[in-house]
Amino acid sequence: MRVLSIAFNTFRENIREKLLYNLLIFALLMIGSSILLTRLTVGEWDRLIINLGLSSINFFGVLIAIFVGISLVSKEIDKKTIYTILSKPVPRYEFLLGKYLGLMITLFVNTVVMVAGLLAVMAYLNAPVTLLLFEALGFIFLELMVITAVALLFSTFTSATLSAIFTLAIYAVGHLSTDLKQFGAQMDSVGKAALNAIYYVLPNLERFNLKGQVIHHVKISGTDVLLTTAYGLAYAGLLLVLASIIFQRRDFQ
Amino acid sequence: MDMSANSAGSSGPASTSHEWHTHLSSRSWLGGILLGLAAAVLLATVLGLQMELDQRHDERAGRLESLRMLPRGEVLRPALMGFHHLGADIIWLRIVQVLGEQVVTEQDYEWLSHALDVVTTLDPLYIYAYDAGGTILAELAHRVDWSNRLLEKGMKANPAAWRLPFTLGFNYFFHLNDYVKAGEYMGQAAKIPGRPLYVDTLAARLYVEGKSPLLALQYLEIMIQQAEDPQLRAIYEDKYKEVLIARDLGTMDLALARYRQTRGRNPQTIADLVKEGFVASVPEEPFGGEYRVDPETGEIESSTHRERLRLHRPPGANSSQE
Amino acid sequence: MSTTETILQTEGLTKTFKVGFWGRHVTVLEGLNLGVQRGEVFGFLGPNGAGKTTTIKILMGLIYPTGGRATVFGRPVGDSRAKARVGFLPESPYFYDYLTAAEFLQFYGHLFSLRGAALEKQVTELLDMVGMSHAKNMQLRKFSKGMLQRVGIAQALINDPELVVLDEPMSGLDPVGRKEIRDLILRLKERGKTVFFSSHILHDAELLCDRVAIILKGRMVACGRVSELVGEGATRSVEMVVEGLSSEGLEHLRPLAEKLLIQGNQVLVVLSNQQQVGNALEIVRIAKGSVVSVTPQKGSLEELFIREVKGTQSSSREGQ
Repeated sequence: MRVLSIAFNTFRENIREKLLYNLLIFALLMIGSSILLTRLTVGEWDRLIINLGLSSINFFGVLIAIFVGISLVSKEIDKKTIYTILSKPVPRYEFLLGKYLGLMITLFVNTVVMVAGLLAVMAYLNAPVTLLLFEALGFIFLELMVITAVALLFSTFTSATLSAIFTLAIYAVGHLSTDLKQFGAQMDSVGKAALNAIYYVLPNLERFNLKGQVIHHVKISGTDVLLTTAYGLAYAGLLLVLASIIFQRRDFQ
Repeated sequence: MDMSANSAGSSGPASTSHEWHTHLSSRSWLGGILLGLAAAVLLATVLGLQMELDQRHDERAGRLESLRMLPRGEVLRPALMGFHHLGADIIWLRIVQVLGEQVVTEQDYEWLSHALDVVTTLDPLYIYAYDAGGTILAELAHRVDWSNRLLEKGMKANPAAWRLPFTLGFNYFFHLNDYVKAGEYMGQAAKIPGRPLYVDTLAARLYVEGKSPLLALQYLEIMIQQAEDPQLRAIYEDKYKEVLIARDLGTMDLALARYRQTRGRNPQTIADLVKEGFVASVPEEPFGGEYRVDPETGEIESSTHRERLRLHRPPGANSSQE
Repeated sequence: MSTTETILQTEGLTKTFKVGFWGRHVTVLEGLNLGVQRGEVFGFLGPNGAGKTTTIKILMGLIYPTGGRATVFGRPVGDSRAKARVGFLPESPYFYDYLTAAEFLQFYGHLFSLRGAALEKQVTELLDMVGMSHAKNMQLRKFSKGMLQRVGIAQALINDPELVVLDEPMSGLDPVGRKEIRDLILRLKERGKTVFFSSHILHDAELLCDRVAIILKGRMVACGRVSELVGEGATRSVEMVVEGLSSEGLEHLRPLAEKLLIQGNQVLVVLSNQQQVGNALEIVRIAKGSVVSVTPQKGSLEELFIREVKGTQSSSREGQ
């Protein structure tokens, strides 16, 4: 219950933030603009809507996950509000979990609003809505879960600016980790081992990218959906446990 | 200096403080173990799933998929928000990865062609991508049309790159047997500053000789010399050997014709040509095979390359090929 | 003293921090022994940077000590069961300014698993107690510093704690605001709460505290009842103002006075001890003067403080 209280308070903090609405409006405008763009393009216009819609949802979700995620903990420390919470009978990991859940609620509501926008545009243009589209959206949300956990992990031991840089770096490398493994395969044994280690330790975010499959109607198997979901959840869980370990040892000076 | 706050406070002996410490550390020790255990289990799960998912997916197919599903360069470019050069590099690296595979199917090449188009749209000045891509499409994919399209796109964006008309000329020379066009492109390359001297020589000879084995060999020697990538060099070296075969076959065709004229029949073996003094020696087959003659038809062929490279004889040289 | 219960205690509490890139060790607290008894108002005094906030953060489980022990209600610091009985207000916090006063208190109530009508009642009562009922549905971003401090105290009281720990509750407030916080602390004492607060303003402590501890550079330099501390070795001088004194009387007074200041018709006489007050009054009576005022000059914490600071400085100089 304490976790939920903290989560709800975090959510309330987020939704009373103007920046969030600006981003949301911008995202909806981008999704809406696909109506105009379809008039310009020739053939496969539903592809353009889906592409633009999924990309906007993904992009703005990641933006919020990183930039709100890095300040989740640091803001509480800067404003000293964390002292009032941790001096209450609230274990530190509950605080972290609460902050994480709070942002996830924000991101969920945010994603739902953007998806509603996308579905409205698709309905208006009579574009077919497929199960695959929702699978892709679910995977985008999984990616947001992992990225938020990365941001939270960094923010437990370093400044907001450094957290932002590190999280962005992980996000970028996470999408290229398969390539890293490939490059490693062509290197000597040391380089190969190093790049393999990076490949297995860093999140493989490309797994959560189904945008291409949706556009090209390439179905993915149920087992793959299940395994990838398990992968995302386990990864986010791992990051949260690591964050808890670091956070537990920390002095709040 | 220290003053105890009160009598109760100062009564605690040092031993209790010690006990309390071990108490605290054992508590955090237990918590640490639990958290560490959770971390280990989750890490194992993550790694296991990562490997399982890797196995379930043919990585190569995945990579090809990623190339096939690349959005058009015009769409991708603004989406990369200023990082399109990096994007071009990354896609190029993926292309190179796919080419490193054992088997590349014809369909794969279609996606490669698309990916090359994306790379060169993201970075229109990526001359190496045009040049190497053009060669790959022509030599490996056997799609000279795609190769030419890519190279022409490159020439528009990079009028100062002599390699592009040079490679285009090569395509017209070897694959399309259009010596006029080949000569035109070579002439264009010969006008660009910074070109090596042999470009001029080649251009001149193309106008005069059309496609002779000697010219082809010289052309290929340059290509081999210029190729930085071992894979590309191997392609040219093979091609060079094929031209050698064509040259040898041409020489022996002449000898064979003379043999038939003199003897009124075909030789039984290729060695007959040497024994009876029609040629000085049978040349070595460059791929390590041998040259054979069919006594029935009088056709001469290489044991490694049954298919003959179509060779054009410039006017004046007598030919049995065309 | 025999019936009192020590509810907050530290023994040999030590904390060193690593600072800077090279991880240089800096000792912030060294062997601190403290004991706070149930029902008292305890002032934890010292200049800025003396280690007060560090001590309080250790007591609240926000910082781990390097050495020594600290217990609250007989449990090691950080124990949830102890935390449930403590209220805490950190130094100049910036609260969730997007919340209203009521939402703010409800949130903290939830952390103690308080819900529903009981929580509602507690919030109303606390806002009333700190005099913030009128601002119940106002967002904290519109609050003044003094108002924030008051809801901050309300937040510390949401669980009806037995021990209230306040870090610099009076700092940054105007005189009216400080008076309000002082009154609040006294009201808490009336309700039987134990109050432990830190301050670098000695005047506040003098007015409020049953006992104080003074720390300097991480070490305790004095601890005890305010009256005892300021009584110790402080010179009891008396200031007397006299009017219409004859010049003869003035000459008689002069040998008694430590200092004598003539300002027009009035004379300020400083007597070095109380025994001489009688003699001085006698002389004034004979000389037909009138006494305007007699003020005994009590020693203050301020003097004690300055004395101790000078003491540590000179001892550290000797040490070098």
